[in-house]
Amino acid sequence: MVATFKRVGRDRVRVRLGLDEVAVLRDLPGQLREVLAEPGDDPVNRRLFPPAYLEPDDADRDAEYRSLMHDELVQAKLANVEVVAGTLARGSPSKRRWTVDLTEEEATAWLGVLNDLRLALGVRLEITEDFDGQVDDADPRAPAMRLLSYLGWLEEHLLEALSSA
Amino acid sequence: MRHHMAMSTTAPVRERTEEEDDVVEPDVPWVVIVWNDPINLMSYVVFVLQKLFGYSKDKATKLMLDVHHRGKAVVSTGPREKAEFDVYRLHGAGLWATMQKDR
Repeated sequence: MVATFKRVGRDRVRVRLGLDEVAVLRDLPGQLREVLAEPGDDPVNRRLFPPAYLEPDDADRDAEYRSLMHDELVQAKLANVEVVAGTLARGSPSKRRWTVDLTEEEATAWLGVLNDLRLALGVRLEITEDFDGQVDDADPRAPAMRLLSYLGWLEEHLLEALSSA
Repeated sequence: MRHHMAMSTTAPVRERTEEEDDVVEPDVPWVVIVWNDPINLMSYVVFVLQKLFGYSKDKATKLMLDVHHRGKAVVSTGPREKAEFDVYRLHGAGLWATMQKDR
């Protein structure tokens, strides 16, 4: 993992990734698009689009909230996916590194996509508070858990760059 | 539930039209609650609370720690429409947020 996120100037974030990392990331927007295209009452959807109201008395309000807001939430997430896919297509590779400069808005879309991917992956893996990023090779979930750890590591570094304004 | 009394405010009084009188609700504020979850990064939750609500880093960190240690925290209060907008923005950011009448 050689990824770095660094502020350049006032409103740009420079992303440098290893070529192997870009290859992994390029697959992810499509995967999130698929998740978002599967509306339903599964655990991932319930986590990405939780109810606004929990009280039984507010059931009608929650149904109204869902009918008004669900599509907007999906569209906003899909818009982030398109931004990230666009920047992944735009970056320039050198011998071993790949670089792209993100605007503040693009960097925020990266943050949203990384977080949504982690939520979807984490729910599928039934991650609990105990998960410390360490992965047991014998665990059949090991590859997905390694990806979850890697995305968390990326997100943490992106947050550091965004907070260093 | 642990209320953050310092944060609760009375909903602003506004003039009601006759139409609204049909659906008038008790004039209690709503609270927006963020619940603990095992996936969101602590630093991410702090970042989102700062960005959405303009909270200082200290205040956002304190709220995040309340969520982390107590399981939930009230992050904003207000009339229902404002609370619902806050919940919508928190859902957009991937936080697990709900709202209820402040009691």
